[in-house]
Amino acid sequence: MAKIDDILIELNLDLKDAWGGLLRRKVRSLLGSLGITIGVVALVAMLSIGEGAKQKALDRIASLGLHTIRVEDARTGVGITNLSYGLVLKDTQKISAWLGDRGSVGYFSRATNIAIYNNQLKGQGTVMGVNPEWFKAEKWLVANGRPLLPDDMTRQNRVCLLGASIASDLQVSVGSNLRLHNIPCIVVGIMAAKGRLLTEGTGLSTLDFDNTVVMPWSGFPFVKVVAEEPILDGLLVTLKKIPEREILPIAEQVEEIIAVSHRSVRDFSMVVPLKLLHKVKETQNLFAWVMGSIASLSLLVGGIGVMNVMLANISEQTREIGLRMAIGATKKRIISLFLCHSLLLTLSGGILGSLLGLLAALAIQWLAGWEVAFSGVSLILGPVSAGVTGLLFGIYPAMRAASLTPARALRES
Amino acid sequence: MALLLGRNLTRTYSVGRQLVTALATVSLEVIAGHFLVITGPSGAGKSTLLNLLSGLEKPTSGEVLYKNISLSKINESKLANIRNSAFGFIFQIPHVLPHKTVFENVAMPFNYGTISDPDHYKRLCLEHLEYVGLGKLVDRSPNTLSGGELQRLVFARALVRNPEVIFADEPTGSLDAANSTIILDLLKEQADRGRAVVMVTHEKEAMAYGSDILELKKV
Ligand SMILES: Nc1ncnc2c1ncn2[C@@H]1O[C@H](COP(=O)(O)OP(=O)(O)O)[C@@H](O)[C@H]1O
Ligand SMILES: [Mg+2]
Repeated sequence: MAKIDDILIELNLDLKDAWGGLLRRKVRSLLGSLGITIGVVALVAMLSIGEGAKQKALDRIASLGLHTIRVEDARTGVGITNLSYGLVLKDTQKISAWLGDRGSVGYFSRATNIAIYNNQLKGQGTVMGVNPEWFKAEKWLVANGRPLLPDDMTRQNRVCLLGASIASDLQVSVGSNLRLHNIPCIVVGIMAAKGRLLTEGTGLSTLDFDNTVVMPWSGFPFVKVVAEEPILDGLLVTLKKIPEREILPIAEQVEEIIAVSHRSVRDFSMVVPLKLLHKVKETQNLFAWVMGSIASLSLLVGGIGVMNVMLANISEQTREIGLRMAIGATKKRIISLFLCHSLLLTLSGGILGSLLGLLAALAIQWLAGWEVAFSGVSLILGPVSAGVTGLLFGIYPAMRAASLTPARALRES
Repeated sequence: MALLLGRNLTRTYSVGRQLVTALATVSLEVIAGHFLVITGPSGAGKSTLLNLLSGLEKPTSGEVLYKNISLSKINESKLANIRNSAFGFIFQIPHVLPHKTVFENVAMPFNYGTISDPDHYKRLCLEHLEYVGLGKLVDRSPNTLSGGELQRLVFARALVRNPEVIFADEPTGSLDAANSTIILDLLKEQADRGRAVVMVTHEKEAMAYGSDILELKKV
């Protein structure tokens, strides 16, 4: 369409013209867009920090597994009653029976700081007795050898699998004979490196996979026994093919089952990663509101600064506006010229602000150690909101310029 | 046939509470090939009349017809288009855009008019700069030009769109004798080539160039 082509040609001319006008008063342009620049710096830096915090939280949730429910022993030690001894095998059976094929129940008992010997070499680590369901649920991959099998449980085999770090520290290979404290044990698998379970801030105990030795729970020699009942340190319920909205009701039921079985003694704690996700979203929303308000406020202030600069430019250039009109500029073109001017002013402020915002975020990461993450959205949002501000606050000065009559504008001294 | 026809042109301004009559019931014709000189004492309304004829402002009463089209009745953008394509302007102070080069200033009218092909308009601009003797200064900043050179730059800009009427409001008012002669000769040449020239002046030497003279009295 010829009409649109014409508009684009004119827009291109006005953009070039306006860019020349911008460069004409460099210091004024820079100062005028400073408010916008600072606003966008704040916006991008805060978005990056927010994004970093969100990413960290999402990583944690992903590490814990969105479709899991984690229960841990939380006996306080004081006032232990004979109403409940803590998490026991019976709890897992009840949960398992209630869940049916909707999920599996992993469990573990744990002993820390166990001396581990491979012939002359000595190390120290955590030894866990686990069931194969737990093993599977943690998605911990075997690098060498075989995983833990149901058969190991039924036969109460004295076999173990070693985390990557401790295996290499003690030069262990599949088939090695270890002593855990003074218990002999055959290595059937070496695990791939997995790092830590990201439990920070959730209330769950830490789990450093790479420095852990796992054994079948039935053959675990370090289990704590209370009143002849072996005590579990944690449960890991994994749900299968369950829509997200059913996870929380199931978690409530699981909690109820344990509570009943423990005669209402709160000797366990429960973490549902999905709940954490909801919390993250809530926090993000709040953050977005706070940030949106701060950003709008600084853009408002920046916009007023830009309007000021534009009004100054226009009153200085009154005769030039008259000249442009005399040689054929329509009111539309005058408006277009000055809107382009304020747009370029804020857009360049916005782009500069985005870059400085990135640097600010990196500096914060470096100095304060906060995680930051850069989303494309934040990088686009800065210049775009700056540009929109430029257009909005440029309208009044542009209209004012266009309202001049050419004869009067030319007469201006 | 008259290119422009002014009928009973009256223009009043309100200054504070007072009504000032700048021009009262003036009628005139602007004819192609004629060099019309408008003269009269300061404040007689010469500039006002020129502004009305060239559509830079509107009469309080009366009308200006350009080829039988009333300039008061067409919309703002049509009027701007007429100024762009049919009129050329020269003022007492040489108005330029100081941040643009000499060439860019002369090309400005193309910015606001239909652009045919870019090579064509570039050639036109260079030709006209050559014509007024600024061929070597195309890339200079107007800030580095003398008053006479600036006025010739304005002249070239007034000519690039091949106008039918050239309006000049005291074009020699800020020039020395030698530069005045250059400008007046250029104007005369345009009238001789068949364009209409309307010039406001109160200088005797300039008035001598006119083929028609309109003298305004103070109201
Ligand atoms: N925009 C205006 N507002 C008020 N008075 C004006 C305006 N333009 C011109 N005048 C008045 O109109 C009269 C004629 O002005 P002008 O046409 O500039 O005279 P000349 O060009 O003949 O010197 C003067 O008295 C001047 O003060
Ligand atoms: Mg005058």
